[in-house]
Order: sequence, then structure tokens, then C-alpha cells
Amino acid sequence: MGAIRRNGAGYLFLSPWLIGFFCLTLGPALASLYLSFTRFDLLNAPEFIGAQNYVRMVTADPKFMASMKVTLIYVALSVPLKLAFALAVAMVLNRGMRGLPIYRAVFYLPSLLGTSVAIAVLWRQLFAADGMVNGILAQFGIIGPSWISNPNYSIYTLVVLSVWQFGSPMIIFLAGLRQIPTDMYEAASLDGASPSRQFWRITLPLLSPVIFFNLVIQVIEAFKAFTPAFVISGGSGGPINSTLFYTLYLYQEGFSYFRMGYASALAWVLVAIIAVFTAISFLTTKYWVHYDD
Amino acid sequence: MTDAVHEMPGHGSSHPRLSGTVRHVILIAICFVMIYPILWMLSGSLRPASELFGGDAGLIPSQVTVEAYPKGWFGLQINFGQFFLNSLVIAVLATIGNVLAASLVAYAFARLQFWGRGFWFALMLGTLMLPYHVTLIPQYVLFRSLDWVNTWWPLILPKYFAVDAFFIFLMVQFFRGIPKELDEAARMDGCSAWRIYWKIILPLSMPVLATAAIFSFIWTWEDFFGPLIYISEMRNYTVQLGLRSFIDSSGTSSWNELFAMSVLSLVPIFLIFLFFQRLLIEGIATTGMKR
Repeated sequence: MGAIRRNGAGYLFLSPWLIGFFCLTLGPALASLYLSFTRFDLLNAPEFIGAQNYVRMVTADPKFMASMKVTLIYVALSVPLKLAFALAVAMVLNRGMRGLPIYRAVFYLPSLLGTSVAIAVLWRQLFAADGMVNGILAQFGIIGPSWISNPNYSIYTLVVLSVWQFGSPMIIFLAGLRQIPTDMYEAASLDGASPSRQFWRITLPLLSPVIFFNLVIQVIEAFKAFTPAFVISGGSGGPINSTLFYTLYLYQEGFSYFRMGYASALAWVLVAIIAVFTAISFLTTKYWVHYDD
Repeated sequence: MTDAVHEMPGHGSSHPRLSGTVRHVILIAICFVMIYPILWMLSGSLRPASELFGGDAGLIPSQVTVEAYPKGWFGLQINFGQFFLNSLVIAVLATIGNVLAASLVAYAFARLQFWGRGFWFALMLGTLMLPYHVTLIPQYVLFRSLDWVNTWWPLILPKYFAVDAFFIFLMVQFFRGIPKELDEAARMDGCSAWRIYWKIILPLSMPVLATAAIFSFIWTWEDFFGPLIYISEMRNYTVQLGLRSFIDSSGTSSWNELFAMSVLSLVPIFLIFLFFQRLLIEGIATTGMKR
């Protein structure tokens, strides 16, 4: 009796999530898996075409390849730079710093504002031909290019935007640094260990679980980036696909061209990439992530 | 706590370190570089349209005017007041949904005993990693068949079903820290699970509820992808969509107006940040999720 009542109460409280999970997460996820094997334009019933969508991606879709390349470059550049910057600033802030709350707050602000359209608008104008950056360069007699409309540079403006938002991983690093006992550094310096040795032998190993965590989260977030590329390129991913983020391409296929079967296949490839990356990260933890016990 | 140790000057690492002044100079320089673009946008919004401000990297306009604000406000067929109102309604309703649903579910996970709890909890954590693109198209088809495209329902209703597992996770962490003796004593007195949730857990959880509410509000306010897909008519636009249309319609001649509206769109977030930054930073530090 008691057990039934207890289960009943548990499932009653759980019910909003259960309904959401089945109707808005699991059901749609399975449906999109099915749709990824169909041709579907929203108006006509989905038509099963086997693995054609996936085959087309790798054999006959230069835009897919372009978007994959842009996204991988973005992830590979923005995540390490952002984390390195976050860690460096966190270490400067860490010990006995007066004014820490103010610095921390100022550094965090861009993370909070970062994904809004307003900041993307700002970025577009910062790096425009007659924008602020070129204004500053002009002071030194340098005539800068039009960063946004030059396919060689446009992706880097987005990398800079991402690094600018280093605040939230920095806060996590700060919390992690606080867990490292100060007497470890004292003992090390009594033994004559140099600061750089202390960094490599104490800080990095003891912080590695936090680095691992930040890395996984930031890589996933970077794969999902959308708004800045959309706003800066006016939704096109241009110039010459140089800012065609993967999610932007998925959006175009699904909601501009209504190739919803193909867009579903793109979504599942994204899941596969994230899953593989996460699995590799977890499997390699034993080589580089140091846990206490 | 270790904080006390850190605040003792001279304590801690005794290796040769940057002097305090040098550190402050470095940090202030970084702060300045970080904030400069935002100040530049603010300054741009206060310049007259005639001033070609793009190439002027300075912060001081030759002439200060607020003309860009009313011009931008009424710059589209529908004024920004409507967009702000729409965004506010959506963000408030979404926030209520997130906090309500996530706290109910988190209470079940943190406190109630039921068959399959570990299994569901693991599934819930699994959805944290799942990119929303995977559910995007079938959800669109679903909401379209309900005739909800171009309404706010797709942006609001899912929150009442706790689809954002981040908030559940955040609250489970907090609820687990509340002493169990409190609800055990209440149960001895014959309190139902509902009363314990409502009268004991929720009142003791105000910090985490506030943190969830703040994040929920900001993320809904800043959300661009959801409205972009679901909202087509301008009278239903959110502020973010309004800004997007403004870019398309204004061209390069009225950057000051675009900047003015951009600045206004950030004001609510900035105010929240000003008053609640401690909650936000603690929320990030304890769960470490997202931005």
C-alpha cells in the first residue's frame, strides 16, 4: 500500500517532465531520426529514400563540407583560446586580490550579453570597413580590410567574439582554483620549485577535472553557435560560405528551402559528432584528468 | 572556508609574484578592452545621423543627441514598444513555467522514493547533452499541426514541461543540501508530499529559485532561434526579431538608430546583472553549466 502511494506521489511530481520528455524530446527525436531517411517538404507526406540524405552529404554537397570546415575551424580556434584566456585571468585574479568581485563581474558581463542580436550587431560594426577596429588601426597608419565582408577574415571576427565571452569558464576556473590547498604551493616553493613548475605540476593536474568539464561544455556550445553568424552574414553564411556555421546551414536547409528530411539528417550528424567528441573526452580522461581518489 | 586564507595579504604562494599594482594595471586594462566596444555602441547611439561615426574609434561624439532613440523606436511599421511588451510577456510566462515545472520535478528526484528514479534521473541528465536541433523539425511539425505557428505557444508551453533539464539539475543540487530531518519531521506529523514541497522545500530554496528565474528570463529574452522559426508576423515579434528586421530595413545610413535600439534591448539584462550578479555568478560556479 505504502509503496504504491509513494510511487504515485513520485510520478505525480515527475509528470511534467515525463510528459515533456516523451512528447517534446524522445518522440520528436525518434521522429527526426525517421525523417532523416526521407524526403520531406512539410506539405507532402515524407517519402522514404533510405540513406540518400547521408550519402548526398558526403558525396554531393559542397555546402555541407564548407559548413563542416567552418564549424571545425571555429571550434578548434575559439574553444582553446577562450579556455586559455579564462584560465590565465582566473589565475591572475585568484590569490588575495582586492576588488575581485568587481573584476569578476566585469569579465562575466560579455558572457551574459553575448548571444543577443544587439552584440552581433555591434560586432558587425566593429569589424566593418569603416568600423571601430579599422578606426584604431588608422591611428597607426594601417588601412585595415573589411573584416566582415572578406572571406579570409570573417570567421576570425566570430572567434574573437567567442573569446570575448571568456567570463563564464573563468568563473568555473576560479571556483576550481579555490579548491587547491595553498599549503601545496608553500611546500613546493620550500622545495625550490619555480612558479612555472608549480603551474605544470600542481595547478594543471589538480585543475584538470575542471578543465575537462569546461572543455566538454564549451565544445558543445561552440558546435551549436548560431546567432552571431546569422546576424553578421545577414542569414546567408557568407561571404562565400565563410561564416556558414553548421547550425546556420541546418536552418537554411530546413526553414528556407524546406528540405526537412535533409535538415533532420544534418541534426543527427551533429548529435553523432557531439557524441563522438564526448566519448573520446571521457575515454581519454584517465590519461590527463587527475582525480583525487 | 579557504576565502579567509586568501584574503590574508602575503599569505599563500611565496614564489616571486607580480606585485599588486602590476596585477591591477593588467586587470584594469583587460576590463577596459572588454567594455570598450559596449561603450562605443552607447556613444554611437548618441551621435547625430549626419556624423559618419563608423570610422571614429573614439568615445566622445562631436555633438550629443538622443534623436536616434525616438527615430529608432518608431523606425519599423510597428514600434519597439510592442516588441518589448511581447518579449516581456514571453519571458515572464516562460520563466514561471521553468521555475514551477523544474522545482516539482527536482523535488521528486531529490526527495521522493519511487520505482525507476535512478533510471529517469540518468535519462534527464542525458538530455542535457542533446542538441535541440534533433527535436527541432518534428516539434515544428507538431506545433504547426496544432496551428500554433505565429503564436507564442511554442516559445512558452514547453517550459511548463521542464524541457530544459539544466534547471532541474540546478535545483536537485540545491534541494539535496536541505537537511532531510526537516521533511522527515514533517512527514511524522502527517504532512503530504505536496505540503512538504510547498511549505518547507520551496521557502528554503529561494536563492536557487531566484537563480533559475534570472537565467530563464535572460535566456528567453535573448533567444533568437525560437522566435525566428515560429514568429512570422511583425506584431508578434520579440525585441531580438525587431532588431533583425531593423538591420534589414535601415541599411548603413541609420547605424545610430540601430545602435540605440540595440542598447535598449540590453538594458533589461544589464539591470538584472547589476542587481543579481552574485546569484548569477554563484549559479555558474556551482553547476558550471552554459554561459
